[in-house]
Amino acid sequence: MKQNYIYTPAFTSEFRCKVPLKETRQLFIVNGKVQGGQTPFSLRLEEGEIMKEMLQIISVRHKSYKEHLSTQQDFHFGKGSVGRIIQCSHTFSPDRFRTTEKVTITVDKEASAEFYIMQNEHNNAEHNTTYEINVAAGAFLKMVFLSLHGGVIRNEILLNLNERHAQCDLAGLYLTDSKQLMDYKISLNHLVPECTSGQLFKGILDDEGVAHFYGRIKVAPDAQKTEAFQANHNLLISDKAKAYTQPQLEIYADDVKCSHGATIGRLNDDELFYMRTRGIPEAEARLLQQKAFAHEVLEKISNTELRERMLSLVERRLRGEFSHCSTCIRNCC
Amino acid sequence: MNNDNIMLKISGLKVSIDDREILSGVNLEVRPGEVHAIMGPNGSGKSTLSAVLAGREEFKVTEGEILFEGEDLLSLSPEERSWAGVFLGFQYPIEIPGVTNINFIKTAINEHRKRKGLPALSAADFLKLMRERMAYVDMDSSFTSRGVNVGFSGGEKKRNEIFQMAMLEPKLAILDETDSGLDVDALRVVAGGINRLKTPENATIVITHYQRLLDYIVPDFIHVLYKGRIIKSAGRELAREIENRGYDWLINEQ
Repeated sequence: MKQNYIYTPAFTSEFRCKVPLKETRQLFIVNGKVQGGQTPFSLRLEEGEIMKEMLQIISVRHKSYKEHLSTQQDFHFGKGSVGRIIQCSHTFSPDRFRTTEKVTITVDKEASAEFYIMQNEHNNAEHNTTYEINVAAGAFLKMVFLSLHGGVIRNEILLNLNERHAQCDLAGLYLTDSKQLMDYKISLNHLVPECTSGQLFKGILDDEGVAHFYGRIKVAPDAQKTEAFQANHNLLISDKAKAYTQPQLEIYADDVKCSHGATIGRLNDDELFYMRTRGIPEAEARLLQQKAFAHEVLEKISNTELRERMLSLVERRLRGEFSHCSTCIRNCC
Repeated sequence: MNNDNIMLKISGLKVSIDDREILSGVNLEVRPGEVHAIMGPNGSGKSTLSAVLAGREEFKVTEGEILFEGEDLLSLSPEERSWAGVFLGFQYPIEIPGVTNINFIKTAINEHRKRKGLPALSAADFLKLMRERMAYVDMDSSFTSRGVNVGFSGGEKKRNEIFQMAMLEPKLAILDETDSGLDVDALRVVAGGINRLKTPENATIVITHYQRLLDYIVPDFIHVLYKGRIIKSAGRELAREIENRGYDWLINEQ
């Protein structure tokens, strides 16, 4: 693997994760600078290369760093290569700040790429990320977003399925409370025949939290046998939370299977009452329902350890606790 | 009569929903070890009574009181009633997609234990208890990992109710139309489970339309509810009479 960073956990003066997942390697980007490597970060997997360990990229701000950061990350998965990436955004700075990120992902013929993206900052943080993605023939891309915590989180995804049998599976869970804003904008283009795409995005919105979901699937005139599915479901926990959802299908081919569904709902009173009659207190019953709602997205994480970790972060978040990894005292947020 | 030993005492209970009176003065006393059956035609208020006992909030109690072991039941939340030992077997058990049966009942059990000052059950002890109680109603172990009641047949849902009752070991079980939608075999299994849970310390109120269930669960008392009032209370022989003569003769006696 060609890499422009060196993993140097021995230097305790540098930032590192205290509770790394098994079979992962860590890379740290501190205040926008790649620790021990070149900025901007880029990763290139050669033809046929298989990344055995997951690469966890942790972007973090120092305590006193509140400058606007504009960063870029580039990923290139060569023909037939396989790789898994975890991207985490954290901060030690409690100040108001803004981060603008651009991520490019190129998945070559028959390559397989997985991205798990965890966005966990705080109410003063504004984080805008644009993803530009191209997927080639027979290649597969999976992305699971967990927008756990942030004042403003915007994810804009431009994804092209460029050659036959390209496949992508996108999923996301976003959680808001106080006056947080989550904004997902997805443009997914089926440019050629016989490609498959799936999208499942779910949000749990509390207090005066607001979520926008705009998802457009465009099927080009020749892109026959396209299969494209999109779902966006929102759960409003409070009377003041708001969800705006705009699913859009633009289909210019005639032999396709496409669907989209969007819902905005609230917790089910009958389920709550049923649980309470069995002695489950109301708060716990509400939490169980929210976990059940989130489950479908978290299930997309195939690595068990990562899934468990994410599940516990989501549960802490839903309980209104501070979301940090258990056993860690670094308190990234 | 030993008044000190009354588990449940309902006095002059009047209940409305949307300003329509459904119960118009119900009186009922239940003692430990007793099985009461409440019968009556459709719309007589049977399910309202069970819902009010369990704490459903849509119903407004306009008069009267309910004491459970001397405590004002109406002032308790549904979960507090459960902790106190009241259990409602639903006529239409609710489906909860995404919450597995095992997680559901484990959470319930441990919440009950917490209120008794007991630590949470260990995984091994919990599984042992669960297997034992599932056997009471012939429940297959594949149910545990499925969503609560999701995709269950009518009979499976009712068995799941009795399984939950077996796990929670309530003092007072109110079983609302537990026989509805069951074939004879399922009815026998469900009734067998209920009978197995009967002790001299606990009590059961069976709400039913038909005397069919009462062939399996033999009540000590039968009450006929009509237009929101108990119009007749008698021993178990009343069931047979209702089976033969219907409710009209009782209604006409009014």
